[in-house]
Amino acid sequence: MLTVLVTGLATGMLYAAVALVYNVMFSTSKVLSVTTGHISMLGGVFGAYFISTLGLNWVIGLVGAVLVGAAFGWLTDVLAIRRVLARSDEHLWLLSTLAMATMVQQAVGLWWGTEPKPFPRLIPQEFGAGIWDQKFWLPIGVAVLMAIGLDVFYRRTMYGKLFLAMSEDAFAARARGVSTDKIRVMSYILSGALGGLAGFAAGQLTFAYFALGHILTLNGFIALAVGGLGSNVGAIIGGAGLGLLSALASYWFGGEYQQTIAVGLLMLVLLLKPEGLLGSKKVRPV
Amino acid sequence: MKFCNTKLFCRLAAASAFALATATAAAQPIKIGWLSSLTGPLSSAAIAENEGVKIAVDEINASGGILGRKIELLTRDTAGDPTKAVNFAQQLAFSDKVQFVIGPVNSGEGLAATPVLARAGIPNIVIGAIDELTNYEKYPRAFRVINTNFQWIDTANKYVLDTLKKKKIAVIADTSGYGTSSAKTAIELLEKAGVKPVYSVLIDPNKTDLTDELNKAKAAGAEVIMPWSAATGLLGRLLNARGDMGWNVPVVGHPALMAAQIRKLLNKPQYWDQTYAAGYVSTTYDANGKLPARTQALVDKVRPKLGGGGEIDVLFWWVAMGYDTVKVIEHAIKKAGSTDPAKIQKALEDTQGLEGVYATYTWGPKIRNGFPDSNMAMNAANTFKDGSFNRAPQ
Repeated sequence: MLTVLVTGLATGMLYAAVALVYNVMFSTSKVLSVTTGHISMLGGVFGAYFISTLGLNWVIGLVGAVLVGAAFGWLTDVLAIRRVLARSDEHLWLLSTLAMATMVQQAVGLWWGTEPKPFPRLIPQEFGAGIWDQKFWLPIGVAVLMAIGLDVFYRRTMYGKLFLAMSEDAFAARARGVSTDKIRVMSYILSGALGGLAGFAAGQLTFAYFALGHILTLNGFIALAVGGLGSNVGAIIGGAGLGLLSALASYWFGGEYQQTIAVGLLMLVLLLKPEGLLGSKKVRPV
Repeated sequence: MKFCNTKLFCRLAAASAFALATATAAAQPIKIGWLSSLTGPLSSAAIAENEGVKIAVDEINASGGILGRKIELLTRDTAGDPTKAVNFAQQLAFSDKVQFVIGPVNSGEGLAATPVLARAGIPNIVIGAIDELTNYEKYPRAFRVINTNFQWIDTANKYVLDTLKKKKIAVIADTSGYGTSSAKTAIELLEKAGVKPVYSVLIDPNKTDLTDELNKAKAAGAEVIMPWSAATGLLGRLLNARGDMGWNVPVVGHPALMAAQIRKLLNKPQYWDQTYAAGYVSTTYDANGKLPARTQALVDKVRPKLGGGGEIDVLFWWVAMGYDTVKVIEHAIKKAGSTDPAKIQKALEDTQGLEGVYATYTWGPKIRNGFPDSNMAMNAANTFKDGSFNRAPQ
């Protein structure tokens, strides 16, 4: 049973990390990009490529994966967000980010192949360590570090405060001289880097697999919605809860119910507490 | 105006016109459509099959064609997409007006495209394994060359029960349509043989660790694990979980257990030991390390292309099957004496014991699955060499 819990927690924390990435993008653009899970997919695939194929040191592989994620985040803003937000208030970003997610998945499938490939061992450790295996604890540790790091960033740095200001009211921030476009681009680069890091950390758990993007996009969104949009603590709780529930559902009822229960959880939370467990209620000023 | 002044002149003119028409028909190439997923999911199988198809076409054309007519191969890349497969099937049938279609490669594409080809009345060489792809009433001109999924399952079950003499079986499948239906068939067959699996479960193919499932199977007393999934990620994780647990039980099941990708996913190479999968006599080495003569001849022929003169690194049965699809068409045209679809159907229905490289085929008026059970074999997964495998321990 302990294995089930640790496996569920590790998978859930990967979802939580993706939910954190959603939060960073959402804070400055109010966009829930479909490419979010694909950033982590790129982190895993490029991490394996740099280390296993090119034979680079894992630290360089990590830096490379983070840079690829950051570049993809920037590209997402340039191709799928910037012009769409400038021309329309409607949710057309859903289509533009979906198109971009599909294109990157196809491209990776053609280049990397459609079968999962192994992700290298990062820390010297014997296989058979059970629940202490690094494949479980790396994604858990990285998600927690990401949440703490983001909290420090928002509270202690000027740019973090600018992110928060845009999150509160982008028009007011612009009226006070904040370059909102620049901050939004920065948030996409940051979210790309974090997504790449999360995918790299979870590589041993997920393998380097081209089709991982959509799965992470969906489950990361469920974690975000359950925890509460905009709340980093909520994202961690939502992700961990989703991972544990899925693992326990699979253990007790079989894999055929796993997704149903995950989506059922989302519906239940949305019905009972639409703003999520730790989300703030929106009050419309009149 | 009178065109025929005399009876003799009319007869001569008619005879000349007939001869001209016959000569024109003879000169026209035989068009074969090839629905191949050369890119996208399962492209590795299609690429290898494509080599076999091309070699057979080149060989036949170099020897003067079939009944004096060359083969024109019209290859269409479906990218593994059922929608594209249907569109290309329609294009080949109604626009290109092909006389035969080989494929599609993937069963999902086949489910979509085979009815289209059946409606067009075009003879179709089926290379998808799922059982629903052939039906002598619904698709009378669809003749299967590959084995059925049922044969894979039945062969693996018999190996476990009759050779390994194991009765405590854990059946593990993925939650896809294929996994679900295969698990059902496997369990039904086992129960028919008087064995109720001690544990059975469906698992999400992307599940990240299978230790908990194997712990449950172990607790249930399983002596053998039978996975039914084509998802190499899931199979790799299953073998890793078994290895990490140090649980020394055989794993017997789907041919994907032997895929080269699995080897790369394993934590340790020895985790592939005691892993056996359904395979073929044609690509199994005998006790002296020799392949059947027909297979060896084709291996030697394709080695320069597929192995660059060295070892072949794809599953050779894909190549052999691709080669046989064209040879089956050649046989049918020669036997029918034409490319008339009804005559081709009759010719294939009357075919018994046609010796190919991949198998020896027999079809009948109500039989559309030409691959015999006797051509199935069990292979040891970790013995891949030059595209073929050693037989599993007997």
